[in-house]
Amino acid sequence: MDAFRQEIIVGAVAVYMVFCVLTGLWAMRRTHNTSDFFIAGRGLGPIVVALALFSSTLSGFGFVGGPGLVYSIGVSSFWMVVISSTGYAIGFFLVAKRIRMIAELRDCISLPDIVAARYGSQSVRFMIAVTIVLGVMGYLATQILAMAVVMQAILSGTATFANISLVTCVVISSAVLIFYCVTGGIIASVYTDVVQGAIMIVAGTLILFTAVNVFDGGMQEATSIILADDAEAVMPYGAAGMLASLGWFFVFGLGLAGQPHLITKMMMNKEMADNRTILPMSLFGYVMAALLWISIGIVMRAAVIDGVVPPLALPDDAASVFLSVFTNPLLAGVVFAGLFAAIMSTSDAFLNIGTAAIIHDIPKSIRGKSINNELFWARVVTIILAIVAASFALYSHYRDATLVAILGAFGWGTFAAGIFPVVAVGLNWKGATVAGAVTAISAALLINFVTQLAGVTFPYGVSGQLAAFVTSMVLFIGVSLVTKKPVLDSDINRMMDI
Amino acid sequence: MRSKLIYIIFVVGVLMAAILITIIVAENVPNSGGAAHPEIAGLQIGGDGAARMEYIGTLGLAFHCLLLVQIILLSLLGVSERYRSNGLIAYMGGTLVFMLLVAWQMYSGHQQFLETDETGYFLGFPTATAWATYGTWIGAIPLILIYSIGFRKYIYTPEDEKKYNELLAEKTELMEQQ
Repeated sequence: MDAFRQEIIVGAVAVYMVFCVLTGLWAMRRTHNTSDFFIAGRGLGPIVVALALFSSTLSGFGFVGGPGLVYSIGVSSFWMVVISSTGYAIGFFLVAKRIRMIAELRDCISLPDIVAARYGSQSVRFMIAVTIVLGVMGYLATQILAMAVVMQAILSGTATFANISLVTCVVISSAVLIFYCVTGGIIASVYTDVVQGAIMIVAGTLILFTAVNVFDGGMQEATSIILADDAEAVMPYGAAGMLASLGWFFVFGLGLAGQPHLITKMMMNKEMADNRTILPMSLFGYVMAALLWISIGIVMRAAVIDGVVPPLALPDDAASVFLSVFTNPLLAGVVFAGLFAAIMSTSDAFLNIGTAAIIHDIPKSIRGKSINNELFWARVVTIILAIVAASFALYSHYRDATLVAILGAFGWGTFAAGIFPVVAVGLNWKGATVAGAVTAISAALLINFVTQLAGVTFPYGVSGQLAAFVTSMVLFIGVSLVTKKPVLDSDINRMMDI
Repeated sequence: MRSKLIYIIFVVGVLMAAILITIIVAENVPNSGGAAHPEIAGLQIGGDGAARMEYIGTLGLAFHCLLLVQIILLSLLGVSERYRSNGLIAYMGGTLVFMLLVAWQMYSGHQQFLETDETGYFLGFPTATAWATYGTWIGAIPLILIYSIGFRKYIYTPEDEKKYNELLAEKTELMEQQ
């Protein structure tokens, strides 16, 4: 079977891509208006929402960058994963009920719609929409580039596609993504997410069993090897140190409830009461899939230190080298399909919210009304956004490698710092004001941009993202407390009493 | 406490900011955020753990504890004020104690290792790391449980559902009139 390793992997990925295209065609028949296109008409069942929620959380970063980070900095990177139970809990306590209620009450189709309804302010809508567009560009470009790089690595191992270029891989992978997003909108997106989520759970579980058996002494032997080389790397705070780890706890834990591509999914369930089952199901899926992140990273670090595997050219090669050295071809095929699933499930969510911000929210905040024929323009802008992000990814890859990295890193931290206080806290506190929201979003954008662009680093691994998040939280509440108490619209006031 | 929750959240936030500033301006030690592995390119090492914790260890622990307090407070904020009963507050308090215990076990276990250079193992990881890995994951499970099991009691009660449906009906009626 090993002789056909590449063919099996290519076959698994090809089957997965064909499935995505077919789902797009199926979903097109169910997409009649912008509500269907952006929020699936608020008619999804709990299993679909749960799988869509967790698969959108775990992007290509989780399957490629995650194991690479554990390989590089040890246990520090665990803190992006083990806080998931906290993150999901906070997200559901603070956001799930209220966002679903406002969405139905005001017929909202996007997060900026929700914010505009809550604060009665077009300025806040505009700032959230701009934040989303900025973050989406970086995220999307990172995902498309990751997808193309992995595809090139897989195809170049076959005789037929040995010399395939990165540009061709960007075109193929983007074409599949664009096709099912344009035809089926969020309906295609969430139903592909279901299969994507299932693949990720299977991949994570199988990889854990494989990883545990790489060393005769199991995971304990792997961690012992790391401990003997550098104890701090496998101690609770890892090589990056205590504050870097706690910073990730803060930004990834609390910040999960500020990620627009995730909390938008909380608007889509049919029944409010479904939230009580969606939460544990999402967490279960995430934990199972994230086992891959931790187990591959630890085993590869130990394997390299022990001389079982030569040092990797790049930390991000950890997953692909693990798959080629330690797994059988069938499992490698499933995991590579899972990798594409992880990347695409996040990319389609970003395409969706980015498009909504561009065609729905920014025009509405400037002109006071939506553009005509939103569904048509949603499809057009989805294509344009994906092409711009793909071009941006290629430009960055060949001309300025830092661009995508900067915007990619900018994304999660900015969403966390800019959106969490305004949405998660603001939906539960009547005293939150427009001035507080504008100040918090401005501070989040400013601190994140300055620290990223200027490459500002703080001692002890304190990140700019953490500084931005803590600052925006304090400013949001502080400014709201000292500004005039807002008068809420009657329906919003009554909704917030529930 | 019930109606002053946002003030407590604000104070905790300010304290966290103050600790962060204190850490940033504290005396730094070389490679406090890690350093390149001397032999293997692409790997980072932590190096001298005791030196890295010397000036900020207690502050880091305090930041961690405040973060856990903030998580519990924010979870309570997500529950309507009238449902923040003594029973719920006691449950949330118990959850916080459990989370603080996990944080203390990982911190003290790490300190103990730095002093003795010895560690036990639990499910594949050094004991302190096992607390961080499994403990942090499990620490928030009581929050998940109370949300799921107590959904109809604390989050969205039958009374809430009735009020919300009335609100929706009024809204629909108003739109039809327009």
